[in-house]
Amino acid sequence: MGESQKGLLSVIQKLKGSTEQELRIVLLGLDNAGKTTLLKSLASEEVNTITPTQGFNIKSVASHGMKLNVWDIGGQRKIRPFWKKYLDNTDLLIYVIDSADKKRFEETGLELSELIDEENLKGVPLLVFANKQDLATASPASEIAEGLNLHTYRDREWQIQACSAVSGEGVQDGMNWICNNIVNQKKK
Amino acid sequence: MAEEEEEDWVLESIVGYLGSPEWVIPVSDFMEIKCSVFDDEDESKLTYTEIHQQYKQLVEKLLDNHMQEIGINEQQFVEACTSPFAKSKTVQVLFQPVLATDDFQMFRSLMVQKNMELQLQALRVIKERQGALPECLTDGADVMSELEQQEMKILQEVLKKSKEEYDEGLSQRTVGSTSGPCSGRGAPPAPGALEEAPTQDPGSSRAQVSPVGRAALEEAAGGLNSPEETSCAAATKHTTASKVLPVVRAPVKGGEPPADPCPGAQEQGSSKPSSTEACLDEARREAGISKPYTELSESQQQRAQYLREQRDKLQALKRGQPNGRQMASPEGRAPDPPPAPVTPEVSAEEKKKLQKRKHLAEKLKEEVIKK
Ligand SMILES: Nc1nc2c(ncn2[C@@H]2O[C@H](COP(=O)(O)OP(=O)(O)OP(=O)(O)O)[C@@H](O)[C@H]2O)c(=O)[nH]1
Ligand SMILES: [Mg+2]
Repeated sequence: MGESQKGLLSVIQKLKGSTEQELRIVLLGLDNAGKTTLLKSLASEEVNTITPTQGFNIKSVASHGMKLNVWDIGGQRKIRPFWKKYLDNTDLLIYVIDSADKKRFEETGLELSELIDEENLKGVPLLVFANKQDLATASPASEIAEGLNLHTYRDREWQIQACSAVSGEGVQDGMNWICNNIVNQKKK
Repeated sequence: MAEEEEEDWVLESIVGYLGSPEWVIPVSDFMEIKCSVFDDEDESKLTYTEIHQQYKQLVEKLLDNHMQEIGINEQQFVEACTSPFAKSKTVQVLFQPVLATDDFQMFRSLMVQKNMELQLQALRVIKERQGALPECLTDGADVMSELEQQEMKILQEVLKKSKEEYDEGLSQRTVGSTSGPCSGRGAPPAPGALEEAPTQDPGSSRAQVSPVGRAALEEAAGGLNSPEETSCAAATKHTTASKVLPVVRAPVKGGEPPADPCPGAQEQGSSKPSSTEACLDEARREAGISKPYTELSESQQQRAQYLREQRDKLQALKRGQPNGRQMASPEGRAPDPPPAPVTPEVSAEEKKKLQKRKHLAEKLKEEVIKK
């Protein structure tokens, strides 16, 4: 997994003192989807002071005996062209959707399908968070899955998980899926 | 030490290399030049990634060269670096800049640290020269004036420029040095080391001018003689430099002081020249000289003078053409806000930035005063 780095730099990875397994997870999605909120809640940090991300955030979270390095890149339109610079060696893509923002379902679907075609994400497992389920206007995850045509994805493991990044509901279920499906695979 | 054991020669050679000027100079130069955008904000800027990428390329190139030189392959490299001897603390510290290629968070913190170091150095110099920090730095009212912040930036630009010039000079000279564990003497401090020049023996370094310094001095002579270099910015220099950087011109004379960020005439008198001194000291440090400016030899003074002039020019250049000599990036970074414009007017955004800087300066201040 993740051998796209060539030469010496791939070798340097082996110099790290710790034998701890690491996963590189990239968190993407439109602006306002709730990526940073999700990241902070994963890291058990305050989620009340979050502002739109101009660059990116990275946090390391310990989970199931692994170190998860989670990258949250800003989702504003002007930042999206930079997404592809963060896809190297990715073990898992988490795609976050604002389930209440029906007007932008099409836009978010387009962005996702472009990502899926990226060479660097070939075969990389996908977890979709149907976020903001605490809002009354939120569409159910099943509906969103249909809109995204997730069932047509046959080249990778995927999962959609309803959640609320602010209340934390559903987030852990998503993480469990990661650990059961990705961590175990990677350990082999 | 396991010097005699043959299997350790590879590691020894690598360790020697990581302490040698061939490694230390380009790596710490890179960091000094690029660190200015790295703040201690939680959020990372898109440019960090770009700089990290450049860093990876630099390290890969350097290590590749060394491996070729001593005739080992990547496998041998890894084996040597993962041997028990390599687990020692000193070796691990030396490895940090190497590991930072694969660890963004480590890289980021090295860069943030480097940025703080540079700012700390400036504050220390102020303290050394004044015997104490100027009032405006200790009363917490306006810890590090915006002006001084700008000077730090420009200083870094100057360092970058002199590095470029040094490189030119270097490509003309032949570097006939072999690397060994002890050859790091006289080199800039290893990245990751907090204090200045820990590798230097205070007794012997005094008269010695580091390779960087020597080349720079040669360059300085050349630079002073080249008229086209000075003329390009001369036009704007007089109108703008005097407004923005009054301190550059007259460290002692106390010429007409313009708009003052520190209230109170006395503070001004004491703080402004200090930042000039910081610049001069930077120049001295670069030249590997540990004497005060006034005791420098003529050529060394020329060098310092030259740096000041370079700074003037840069300042003028920046004002004249905003995109002039900013670190040109191969790949566009459109979404990124332009590098903090050096303008006297303070926009709301700038104000916010200034607040952060003050916060940083507070931290620095604590550290300086504790010492
Ligand atoms: N009701 C509700 N609001 C949420 C939830 N998650 C995030 N938000 C809010 O949505 C807004 C955007 O959240 P962010 O985490 O900044 O979104 P982002 O995806 O990081 O946005 P960019 O940084 O611009 O890409 C904030 O006001 C959050 O408080 C959620 O589960 N429920
Ligand atoms: Mg965000």
